[in-house]
This record gives sequence, structure tokens and C-alpha cells, in this order.
Amino acid sequence: MASSHSSQGTPPVIAPGHTFGTVTDKISAIVLARKTPIGWYAGFAAAFALTLLLLVSLTYLVLKGIGIWGNNEPVGWAFDITNFVWWIGIGHAGTLISAILLLLRQSWRTSINRFAEAMTLFAVASAGIFPLFHTGRPWLAYWLLPYPNTMNVWPQFRSPLVWDVFAVSTYATVSLLFWFVGLIPDLATLRDRSQSKAGRIIYGMLAMGWRGSSRHWHRYETAYLLLAGLATPLVVSVHTVVSFDFAVSIMPGWHTTIFPPYFVAGAIYSGFAMVLTLAIPIRAVYKLEDFITMRHLQNMAKVMLVTGLIVAYGYMTEAFIAWYSADKYEGFVPLNRLTGPYFLAYWSLILCNVAIPQLLWLKRVRTNVPILFIISIIVNVGMWLERFVIIVTSLHRDFLPSSWGMYSATFWDWSTYVGTIGLFLSLLFLFLRFLPMISIFEMRTMLPEARVDEEAI
Amino acid sequence: MVLTNTADVAIPELAGYQRRLLIGGAVGMIASLAGLFMEPTQFLQSYLMAYMLWLGVTLGCLALGMVHQLSGGGWGVVIRRPIGAATRVLPVMTGLFLPIAFGMFRLYSWTNLDLVAHDEALRHKHLYLNAPFFLARAAFYFLVWNTLTYFLNAWSLEQDTTAEPGLARRMQKLSAAGLLGYGLTITFASFDWLMSLEPHWFSTIYGVLIMGGQALSALAVLIVVLVWLSRRAPLDKIVVAAHFHDLGNLMLAFIMLWAYFSFSQYLIIWSGNLPTEIAWYLHRLQTGWRAVGVTLILFHFVVPFLLLLSRAMKREPRTIVVVAGGILVARLVDLFWLIAPEFHHAGISVSWLDVVLPVSLGAIWLGCFIGQLRGRAILPLHDPGFDEALGRILEKAKAERSAAAH
Repeated sequence: MASSHSSQGTPPVIAPGHTFGTVTDKISAIVLARKTPIGWYAGFAAAFALTLLLLVSLTYLVLKGIGIWGNNEPVGWAFDITNFVWWIGIGHAGTLISAILLLLRQSWRTSINRFAEAMTLFAVASAGIFPLFHTGRPWLAYWLLPYPNTMNVWPQFRSPLVWDVFAVSTYATVSLLFWFVGLIPDLATLRDRSQSKAGRIIYGMLAMGWRGSSRHWHRYETAYLLLAGLATPLVVSVHTVVSFDFAVSIMPGWHTTIFPPYFVAGAIYSGFAMVLTLAIPIRAVYKLEDFITMRHLQNMAKVMLVTGLIVAYGYMTEAFIAWYSADKYEGFVPLNRLTGPYFLAYWSLILCNVAIPQLLWLKRVRTNVPILFIISIIVNVGMWLERFVIIVTSLHRDFLPSSWGMYSATFWDWSTYVGTIGLFLSLLFLFLRFLPMISIFEMRTMLPEARVDEEAI
Repeated sequence: MVLTNTADVAIPELAGYQRRLLIGGAVGMIASLAGLFMEPTQFLQSYLMAYMLWLGVTLGCLALGMVHQLSGGGWGVVIRRPIGAATRVLPVMTGLFLPIAFGMFRLYSWTNLDLVAHDEALRHKHLYLNAPFFLARAAFYFLVWNTLTYFLNAWSLEQDTTAEPGLARRMQKLSAAGLLGYGLTITFASFDWLMSLEPHWFSTIYGVLIMGGQALSALAVLIVVLVWLSRRAPLDKIVVAAHFHDLGNLMLAFIMLWAYFSFSQYLIIWSGNLPTEIAWYLHRLQTGWRAVGVTLILFHFVVPFLLLLSRAMKREPRTIVVVAGGILVARLVDLFWLIAPEFHHAGISVSWLDVVLPVSLGAIWLGCFIGQLRGRAILPLHDPGFDEALGRILEKAKAERSAAAH
């Protein structure tokens, strides 16, 4: 593909002047040699404090029941499902970058795939907490699985909530395997370079006896490609199933056929926004500008622009067909979103997801790192608002005006949400400290001296 | 170098094909005029189907060309010129819309004002679904598509002669805006021309479904054309198995997308089971039309999906051309499924016009396409990205041939 060749004007995927040795040194030193920056301790402490807040919130929830949240009749789903969908969406970028871009032979993915995959895992872990605790009795969550039992309890297979269980758990498993398999050669590098006995033993065990023989490499490449093929449909299926959670109901504002592709696009949108939100500070703090170059940031900005436009297309068709349907309830949904009690949420969502990201059309914006960082955060906020608007504004005024209601978040809603952000960041800090955040051996293949004449697959 | 010759000089037999196709197409159209007098509604219904297939090929090529301007990639190098030629059939397709414009009062029940007056939903939609606005919208869609086609092709020709480097950038910018315009116009065009055949029914995914279908039709035609060209000089020395592999993979992706969109629409509507929505499926699935639905599942998804999984199948021109041809037929069946049941609620009904019109319109389309192909070099040599890609392809072709020789 042309992408691996840097044609005129395109910044390279790796800065000039690096050799096999410097790449390995630079990335592995972050884990093994370099002194842990004081900022790491501060960041981890803050994130861990929020994780403790999550523990408190969940403990209190289990003691008191989900009545501590603002959920009510008619708004039975609120922050919990909003946060679930938000986190799952963020998780999509990792697998997309790792699997789909691998299959599309987009070699620029190499320096961002490792931590994007890690981000996926941590996002899925954060996501899983919400439906699990929303059941109210998380210790009975295994009832969602089909297994022979004396109670004659069997999941309702026509319910997308059951599909969710399978989709998300499969996704988590495959993402974990994909990430771990991709780590093995690098774990062996860490094992070989580690100065401490504990390091050699732990990384040695994780490296699973990797010796770097050509047979190892051959099997590794086959396994990695197969896993990529396996992970690709999952990128689409998980958020499709999440969209079915809403679309197969007959709730106005939920029951609409565009939901599957538009949810998938939204997931990729928020996922890339989160990768940018994380990559920009990380590359600055760890001085990784040679590896995460402007090319990466620009490409991610372009993906965000495209997926953002698809999402905007979704909003437009939804609103048009709501009117075109000539159905009173369907027609009411966009009106209620635009002018109802949650109008602020809706207009902020349009501002964050549709209006501001249009700046990304400009190359000046795509190459301006601070502005890109701000836009990525705005998109994250916008995608959270999108799920909030879809869920709460549809539920709070459905068919009968006599059963309309309002929802407002309680302290515990917020503390659980913020707590999962803490969990996500804590895991991320640990990852940055103990594992190579950029794939060392794949970066080496990006160097000019590694280039063999490309084989047309 | 031989590559700078126009296709006309390089492949002299094109002129003969063009003449024969146009004559054949004209004969078919004249024969089908008999149908216009005997059963005008059936004629218009079949014509709409045939027209949407070949308009889909044209616009699908326009969209794929714009995507390639932005994404680059080896797959587009060898089909860039066929893509350009296909888009230049658009003015002819614009003229061929006239039968639909004139026939709209027979095709679309919402044009019947008596019916609208007694139907609350149609009264509500009258603001959008009314004859003048319908025609004005159609004019606007064609204006957008023709403008895009005109500038992209004019600049590409300028690039051929002047090799001016700034043109590539300009084409990229237009393509970015053009894709946005294409997405919006084709969505509303599909609502107007196809979805409103049953004016009570609606589906938000419909535009996306039609877009995916157009890209698939375009790819199928492009693959057939490329196989044909690759058997003749000068492309026989340039097109290699890897090109067909890439295009086959793209076709596989669009097959899966079509299945994904169609299944999503079906599952959501089936599950909601609301009267206004499910009616569309009821008279399709509880009558003889069901056979068409099953055919689509098998031949628009299962069979091509399984065939295209095979690497050997994609790399061999003789097999990929059969799959691509089959997919084009399946695209026609899909449009038949979208259109025909609205005119025959009781059960399946196939007319001779459903065969003659798509074939004759196809012959006319191909004749115009060949005419457009003849005038330019078969590869765009002065595109800066292409020079690089082409060099690699030529090297690769050399290596592959020498490997085959050993």
C-alpha cells in the first residue's frame, strides 16, 4: 500500500535517525531503566483515589439497592446505561486500530495499537461494571448465562440484553488475547533486558518461553493474523448489539433502523477521540514524538472527522424520518429534544459532536496539537451526551403524558461514573509503568533498514 | 511509451463494441416500447428498476472514485480510468430520468391527490411528497452529481496533458466535499424514487442500504471491465493478481455491509412489529415474493460471501469475473425486491420487461461507457501518487511473470 511509503508532504510514521537499537532502548527504558517520573505517582494517586470512590459507591449500592441512583419510572435506564455505552464505544478504537487497520495494511497504526488495545480492555472493564450492578444483585449475574438448572430459569434469547452478555464477554476475551499475543515478543525483550531478578522472573513467565526463533515468529504471525480476522467482526457486532438494546423496542427515538451503523460509527468516533486524549499527553510526557508523529495525530483526526460526519448523518436521517413517518410519537421526539426540558443537553451534543469537529476539515487544526487535544475532549463529552440524550429524553416522555417524568442524577450516579474514570486511568497508569506502551518489535519493522520488498498479499 | 496512447489507439476493437452495444440497446428499447403501450405501469416499474441499477453503477463509480482520491491505494490505480468513463455516462443517465419524471403519476400513489385528501398520513407528508418539489429535488440531485462529475473529469484530463501538480490536491478537496454531497443527495433520492413507492413506509437505514448497493454494483462492473481489459495490451502487462485480490476483498466487504444493513433493518422492524413498518415485509414474506427474498439471502450474500473468502477465487480473473457478474444480477434482483412487490401485492409477478429493459439499458450504458473510455489514456500517468504506485506495480508485474516463467 502507498501508506507505508512516505510520499512527498506526508510526515513519516517514525522520525528519521533511529536504528533497531535506539528504538528498543527508548521504549524499553520507560519500563526498565528510566526513573518513574513524579507526575506518574501524582497521577496514579489521583486516579486511585477515584477508584476508591468507585468501591465506596458500589459497596453502598449493594447495601442499599439501586434506589440510590436517580433512576425511576419512567426513566428506568439513565446514567448506568449511558456510561456503559460510552465506555464500550471508547473500547472500539483499540480493536479497530489493531485488527482492521492491520488487515488494511495501514502500517501507521503500529505505534498506537498497543496502548489503544490496553485502553480497550480497561474501557470494557469499566463498562461491564454498570450493567452488572444495575441488575441490583450482581452475585446472581450468572443467571444471564444459559446453563441447565433446577429453577428452570433460561435466558430470553429474543432479548438483546442477553446478546449483550455474549457480545461483550466475547469482545473482552478476544481483545485480551489479541493484546497479550501481541505483547509476547516484547515481554521477552523486557525479560532479557531486565536488571532485577523479579523482573526477569515475572516478564519471563509472561513471555511464555519466547526465544525469537524463526519458527516462533512464523507461528506468531499466523496467530496474530487469525486473531485480527476474528476481532474484526467483533468491532462491528458489539456496538450493533448495543444499538439493538434500544432499536428492537418500540420506544420512539429508539426504534429506528439506522441505529446499528450509526452506533458503530459513533463508537469509533469516541474511541479515536479517547486515543487522542491519551496519546497527546503521553507522547509529550514520555518524549515519544519520534514514534507518535504528526502523521498519527492527523490520521486519527481524519478518522474522527469521517465518523463524526456519519454520526451527524444519523442525527439528520433520524430527525427527518421522525417527521416523515407522520407518527405523532415519533414526531414528538426531535421536538422534545430540541425544546423540551433537556434541550441544553441536546444542543450541547450538537455543538460538541457536529459543529466543533468540523474544524478538523482544516489542516491547520489537524496539525495543531493543543487544539486537537481540546477537540478530542469535546468529542468525548459530546458522545457521552449523545447517549444520555438518546436514553433519557426518549424514556422520560414516551406515550402517555400522564406517565411522563423527569430524571436527575444523584451524587451516587456521578460518583460511580467518575469512579470508573478513576479505574480506567489507574489501570492505564499501571500499564504505562510496567509494560511497553509501544510495540517495540513492530516499530523496528517500520525502520528503513527493515524494509524488504513488500509482498503483495 | 505505449501507455500514453488513448484507449482507442491501444485497443482498436472498442469502436466496434461500442457500435454493436448501442444498436443492440436501441433495438431492445424500441421493442420494449410495445410494453409502454400495452401495460404502461408495468413498463415504468421495470424501467425504474433498470434505471436504478445503471444509475447505481454510475454513481457508485463516482463515489468510489472520490473515495480513492482521498484514500489512495493500489486498488484504484488500474480502475481509475474506467471509473472516470463510467461517471461520464451521467449526462446520458440524466436524460434517461425523463421517463420516470413523466411517469411519476403512475409510479407514485402519493401523486394521486384524491387519495392524499383521504389519508391523514399522506396529507402530513404532502409538504415533502408533492409533484413540483419531487421534480425540483430530482433536478437538484442531478445538478450536484453532474457538477462533481464535470470538474473531477475535467481536472483529471488537464492533469493528463499538463501534469500540473496542484490538480491532485484540488481533486482531493472536491472529493471530500463531493462525498458529503453524494451521501446526502443519494439518501433523499432513494427516499424519493424508491422508498416513497410505498408512501406510508419508512426506514432510516434505507439511504445507507442504497449507497452500499451502488458501490457494490459499481465494483462488480469495474471488475468485469478490468478482467476484459487485462486480457489486452497494454494492461495485460500491468494488471496482476493482487489487483483482483484487492478488488475482490472490497467486493466482499460490500457484500457483508449489504447483508448487515438488510438484516439490521429486518430484525428491528420484525421485532417492533408495528403496523406501518411491518406491512412492507408482510406482503413480501407471506406471498410468493418470499422466493425472491430467499434468493437474495442465498445469492446476494451466502454464495458470493463463501466464494469470495477463497484467496484463489479472488486472484484468478476467470473466476472473479463470474462472481462479479453474478453479483450484478443479484443487485438487479435486490432492486426488483425493493420495487416490484409495491405494484403486485398479491404475489410474485415477473414481466418480460423486467428482463428486456435492464439488458437494453445496460447495453446503452456500456456503449456510452466504452465511448468515454476510448478518448483517454487507459492509465492516468501524471497523478503524483500514481507515478509512484505505478512504478511499484510494474516492478511487481515483472517479478510475478518471471516467477511464473520458472
